[in-house]
Amino acid sequence: MKPPKFRYVAPKTLDEAVEHLASDPDAKVLSGGQSLMPLLAMRLAAPSILVDLQHVPGLDGIDDQGSSVLIGAGVTHREIERSDVIAQRLPILSSAVVHIAHPQIRSRGTFGGSTAHADPSGEWPTVLLALGATMHAVGPRGRRTIEADNFFVGPFTSTLDEDEILTHVSVPTTRTAWSFQEAAVKRGDYGLALVAATGIPRDGQLSEARVAVGAAVGSVRRLTDVERLLSQGPVTDALAEEAAVTAAASIDPISDIHGNSEYRRKLVATLVRRAVLELKNGA
Amino acid sequence: MSTTPEERLDVSMTINGRRYRSTVEARRTLADFIREDAQLPGTKLGCEHGVCGACTVLLDDLPARSCLTLAVQAEGRQIRTVEGLADGQELNTLQRAFREQHGLQCGFCTAGFLMTATALLEENATPTREDIVETVSGSLCRCTGYQTIVSAIEQAAAEGQNVTNGDDQ
Repeated sequence: MKPPKFRYVAPKTLDEAVEHLASDPDAKVLSGGQSLMPLLAMRLAAPSILVDLQHVPGLDGIDDQGSSVLIGAGVTHREIERSDVIAQRLPILSSAVVHIAHPQIRSRGTFGGSTAHADPSGEWPTVLLALGATMHAVGPRGRRTIEADNFFVGPFTSTLDEDEILTHVSVPTTRTAWSFQEAAVKRGDYGLALVAATGIPRDGQLSEARVAVGAAVGSVRRLTDVERLLSQGPVTDALAEEAAVTAAASIDPISDIHGNSEYRRKLVATLVRRAVLELKNGA
Repeated sequence: MSTTPEERLDVSMTINGRRYRSTVEARRTLADFIREDAQLPGTKLGCEHGVCGACTVLLDDLPARSCLTLAVQAEGRQIRTVEGLADGQELNTLQRAFREQHGLQCGFCTAGFLMTATALLEENATPTREDIVETVSGSLCRCTGYQTIVSAIEQAAAEGQNVTNGDDQ
């Protein structure tokens, strides 16, 4: 359970970090290390160089910009958990963060690290997809932004290039109807199913609903059939039930030792029903 | 002579108020640095991949799994381990509460629980039982069934945990 050998650099600037990352195809970014270190310990990853971002300035901060909050990639889960700005402007993040592992992990693990890792059972990918967040990245070819819809493309796979670094995530605050639901065997475990739903309340109805599912499926994704349903009329108990049935029919859940496919399908249906009922209260 | 080029780095950090310096491989974990380079074996290694919590230490006053942190990441930082809790032979309030409430049996997980609870009580001197349960959920104990651990932390909170320790600061 000891990591394989690698080289280590701790650059002092973002440019320097990008240079190191671009210098070797097997170079990897090290932030909090709470996902990477277990992969190294189990020898599932063998990077040539780890580029530690802890001394790179400008990756911190939670900045309320009005219609969005700009969150630095290096912000820890613990900082999100204790942030008043997040609690007031993005309460769905406060609701989700306590499901991320344990206090000892949340004090080290980072918002950007989890997002870039794109673990389908990670809370942030599901939440950021449901919020329609925008990722800010920098690489040897300069800066660019990537919409959440185009960011998470597969299990542990994002459209971030190998030599790019996620620096910030811009999270819209306009989706004031929200719900985050997670089913896990016990507190802090990886979820068996995650559902995040958001919308913009307008005259007792929801507009622009976005519903995302994680953990129960191989890759975090939106439930567009459910979203369409939610835009068709006022959110009622009957609509929540229909949404649950639609969600169950539109996914192909994974099956493993922690829960088989049919069980996870039922979990997703239940979580979608609960999420829609919570959205109703927000609408 | 090894045929694999091996990079070694100088690293120094403060553990329980004392400066430790060593030259280590980049892959050396903070846990191994504490146990082997600093010769402080009170911190235990269970799973070595971040699940069991036995290796929890305080890194700049926050609880961290020392198996999921590289020694080089802790360069220049302040570490506290279980060895820093007692004042000589005198157990601190939290340690005494663990003994009185039977919060340990084999003791392998205890250092991790003590450091996690220390961080909790330093941030929140009057935690609810729910707060304590949430905090200890990050550590595994296969002996006690947890209730006595939760009670020990409750007792320490009620008595006002003595967070000062001889050699820190």
